[in-house]
Amino acid sequence: MPRRLAIFLRRMAVVVAMVIAFFPIFWLFSTSVKPYDEWAAWPPVWISDHPTLQNYRIVFFPKAARAFAAKQSGSLDYKVSGSAWKAFEDSAIISTCATFLSILFGTLAAFSIVRFRTGGPNYAFQFLTVRMMPPIAVVVPIVALFSMLRLADTYFGMILAYTAFTLPFSIWMIRSFIEEAPQELEGAAMIHGMGQMEAFIKVTLPLVKGGILATALFIFILNWSEFLFALVLTSGNVVTVTLQVANYVSASSGKLYGVQAAMGAISTLPVILFGYIIQRHLVRGLTFGAVKR
Amino acid sequence: MTPRLEMRGLSKRFGDVEAVSKLSLALAPGEFVSLLGPSGCGKSTTLAMVAGFEPPTAGAVVVDGKDMTGTPPGRRRIGLVFQDYAVFSRLSVRDNLLFGLEAQRLPRSERKRRIEAMAEKLELGSLMRRRGASLNMSEMQRVAIARALVTEPSLLLLDEPMSNLDASLRAALRGELKLIQKQLDQTVLYVTHDQIEAMSMSDRIAVMRAGRIEQIGTPEDIYHRPATGFVAGVIGDPPINLVACTVKRSGTKAAVASPLHKGVELESADMPDGEHALGVRPHDVKVSRRPRSDHLQASVRFVENLGAENILHLEFGSSLLAAVTPPGFAAAGEDVWIKAEPRQLHFIRRDDDRVVRAKGA
Repeated sequence: MPRRLAIFLRRMAVVVAMVIAFFPIFWLFSTSVKPYDEWAAWPPVWISDHPTLQNYRIVFFPKAARAFAAKQSGSLDYKVSGSAWKAFEDSAIISTCATFLSILFGTLAAFSIVRFRTGGPNYAFQFLTVRMMPPIAVVVPIVALFSMLRLADTYFGMILAYTAFTLPFSIWMIRSFIEEAPQELEGAAMIHGMGQMEAFIKVTLPLVKGGILATALFIFILNWSEFLFALVLTSGNVVTVTLQVANYVSASSGKLYGVQAAMGAISTLPVILFGYIIQRHLVRGLTFGAVKR
Repeated sequence: MTPRLEMRGLSKRFGDVEAVSKLSLALAPGEFVSLLGPSGCGKSTTLAMVAGFEPPTAGAVVVDGKDMTGTPPGRRRIGLVFQDYAVFSRLSVRDNLLFGLEAQRLPRSERKRRIEAMAEKLELGSLMRRRGASLNMSEMQRVAIARALVTEPSLLLLDEPMSNLDASLRAALRGELKLIQKQLDQTVLYVTHDQIEAMSMSDRIAVMRAGRIEQIGTPEDIYHRPATGFVAGVIGDPPINLVACTVKRSGTKAAVASPLHKGVELESADMPDGEHALGVRPHDVKVSRRPRSDHLQASVRFVENLGAENILHLEFGSSLLAAVTPPGFAAAGEDVWIKAEPRQLHFIRRDDDRVVRAKGA
């Protein structure tokens, strides 16, 4: 095959892959600025001729939502009559705290498993197998447990649940980063007077920082986009972004796609921001096995 | 004299595997001892127990007469040079050296004096400001040794410090390391799988196999009087020749016959009758170009030219033998005549691998 043709085909493949990857994101942003009658129009409106910020206003201003309900959609679910700010706040609190705790405990557990062979050779994997059970199978007993412990519909309960559900991933991923870091440096620090924990924190942690940040991003995305547990473990006191998106329905018009898209578009921002801040660590962190010696 | 280091019945068990089994060894002050063995023989685990990274399952580590078994690594008065040197790449060479001294809480002037003295001894003067990341392998090794020695440890441990280097650099560093050790009269425990390193630097070598010390002795002992077939096989380059031999006992005497000789009497008669192995080192096989009455005929299969010497690979009866000769001694296809002195033969018992020697050897 001529060289030029090969290059052309390769580029075409990249273009196709990118279109497939980016289309949902495009559609999300496109729908979020469409007026009411274009949300589900046929033939589809790719890019609206009458872009509007109405959907965003509905998300943030109860007044706009009420006006919209009166004029166009019919009565809204009572849950969205308030501002979506609360959902963003709740999700931010829960996701951030749960990610922090998951990474903290995950790092400590991974350190223990790697350095002291805690629990035998398959211990980290045993944690992971916990996540192989379908979440729906676990959720009912947890609901019962949470209501007994009065944890249902509380921030603390949600943080606890999310920490527990993401901990296996934290342990598994961070363990692999610690395993790849040269143990000798830690040993050199210890032989010169540092304790094992001190050597781990001062010598090894800086080396696996990138991997831990990548894991944190991964866990944060899991928490931020979690729906099932939020749905069954809360009843109005705590509202997450994913719940709020689902709440945008009206009696006569069904799902309010444009408003949901607006909310979805906003909810991508924290993840993008987090990813942007740590991006220089990401490439190295996500390609396992590339910790520089 | 109190030994610098004493290992008393050290054992380490990982699950069902006994990695090190009741190992005892003492190092006199100023002594250079190597733990030599193939990977998985327990030498690195032994070192990790001495350094304090692995708690032993049983036994004790005693440094200068003090039991250090439960003491953390940093308080054992031990220096350690790692396989990859573990020089802190973000710190300067000076800060690398300071690292170990800081934990000892020495006065500033004393730290300075020690670092300068060490820099001079190891010729690090021009490197002191360089960062660890910018050093080459040989510089890194010197920094790692300096960092370990600047704390003036009772004992210096080295964990395969040359296994990542190429051959020419190894030869240079072997000499350098031995020189430093002699100058400072430093006690050293050196872990390696490389027989040349062990042979060239050690006062004594402990050959390890499956968690035990198979034999401990001077390099000469280990080379010329291996205690077992395993030791005979681990030491020596080219490796020892093995030929089948037959033992016949009569009363209190036992004699061996092999294609290399008839009827050599053994030093002890407790070798069972029957087939055993006979080991003879390629350097101990005498080769003649002309037939002689006490020599046996063999033909040269091929020749390995090493420059300073040649290795002849000989077809001898049904077996292959290697022999070392001066270069250009014989060519492939030629016939030569060989002989091995009875005192240089190692008869290896088939049942327990022990070596029995000829009477008077």
